[in-house]
Amino acid sequence: MDASSLIIQPSASEPIYRQIVGQLIRMIASGQLVPGEVLPSVREIAGHHAINPMTVSRAYSLLEGEGQLERLRGKGMAVAAMHRRAQPEDRRLKLLEPHLQEIARQARELELTPEPILRRLGELMEE
Amino acid sequence: MNAVSMSLSAESVRDEIAADAETTPLRALGLSKNYAGRRVLDGVSLTLEPGSVLGLIGRNGAGKSTLMRALLGLIEVDQGRAEVFGEPALALGDRFKAQIGYVPQQPDALAWMGVAQMLDFVGRFYPAWDKAFVDATLTRWQLPRKTTLAKLSPGERQRVELIRAIAPRPRLLVLDEPAAALDPVARRDLLRELALRANDDGTSVIFSTHIVSDLERVASDIAFLHEGRLLLQAPIDDLKERFARVSLPAAIAARGALPGEIHRRVHSGGAAVLTGAVSVVIERAVGADWPNVVHEPGVRHDILGLEDLFVEIAA
Repeated sequence: MDASSLIIQPSASEPIYRQIVGQLIRMIASGQLVPGEVLPSVREIAGHHAINPMTVSRAYSLLEGEGQLERLRGKGMAVAAMHRRAQPEDRRLKLLEPHLQEIARQARELELTPEPILRRLGELMEE
Repeated sequence: MNAVSMSLSAESVRDEIAADAETTPLRALGLSKNYAGRRVLDGVSLTLEPGSVLGLIGRNGAGKSTLMRALLGLIEVDQGRAEVFGEPALALGDRFKAQIGYVPQQPDALAWMGVAQMLDFVGRFYPAWDKAFVDATLTRWQLPRKTTLAKLSPGERQRVELIRAIAPRPRLLVLDEPAAALDPVARRDLLRELALRANDDGTSVIFSTHIVSDLERVASDIAFLHEGRLLLQAPIDDLKERFARVSLPAAIAARGALPGEIHRRVHSGGAAVLTGAVSVVIERAVGADWPNVVHEPGVRHDILGLEDLFVEIAA
């Protein structure tokens, strides 16, 4: 990947470091980024998007802490080679949390109870 | 401005200050200033940490320029004190001045010189002068080299000053509305320059603006100045994660202040039907949950972008 693969929306209510974390996690989960692939440097990403390098570092460190990325000596940050495909359920569920919260919010506005929503969600996932 | 930018620097001084990279570049404690009976600054306390990029946001007339001048000791305040690299701003020695790049909103120094001539002249005083940056940026920002400064448009003039301030690789950059004079391409250039220099050279930056998206890209920290008072200073990511707007129906609003309430606005007229009768900005601690009231029926809860947060608080 190169720096332009990331989409940064400075004015979104989600902080930029979270936007980066989210996109990289999804690229790794979908296989767009493969284990061992070296990511652009902090400076490249910051320079390309005219954003603060500390923001990019923060995203990388967070992903390193989660085991998604690993620092390769002299090469920079890469997708972790030992990346376990099957992460614990709570970890995977956490990736959906923002979307679930948004659904919950909209459901309350529509004055819907959880049951029909869960039923529909079940149907969608069976397909 | 002259005194700040033109002071001679010696390499040994730079090394000496570089060795003490932990010194806080700017610190203000309770700054107050009146002009003609009007309070322009009202007890402003603020800190610029080394290597950080602080965006100072406020409406026109909020006191941003006055605050910057007071921080640098270019004006005297009525109360409080300002420190630059740990020294009193009003009695700043030349060795510290040489480490500061300041660009006022309306630069007026050396007006009789040509653009390239002035940059050449100033550059000779600085051992670390970045000539490659000067040449490249003059071209990228479409500035004439031979025209005298006095004949430039205000926008061109400020672009030249930005180059002049950045080229010596100062440890501290103080920029008053730097984006006002730049088109979108040049603005993006400037932001990139500021962010990378803060990172590579450890330059600390404070810049004022009323263009929120500029702040959101490069600022590591945000300060809200409103009617001479500092409403907030926080890391930018915290701001986005810690503040939200809650719109309340009248019945819930009447119960009194919400947990973490920092601002309340009562709506009237048609908009109130859509948004709730009262909107409240609430703050939570890092990592804490929102108060339970946000889940009650009829309550709407929005995470705010910076612009919305600013408008909500400063309107």
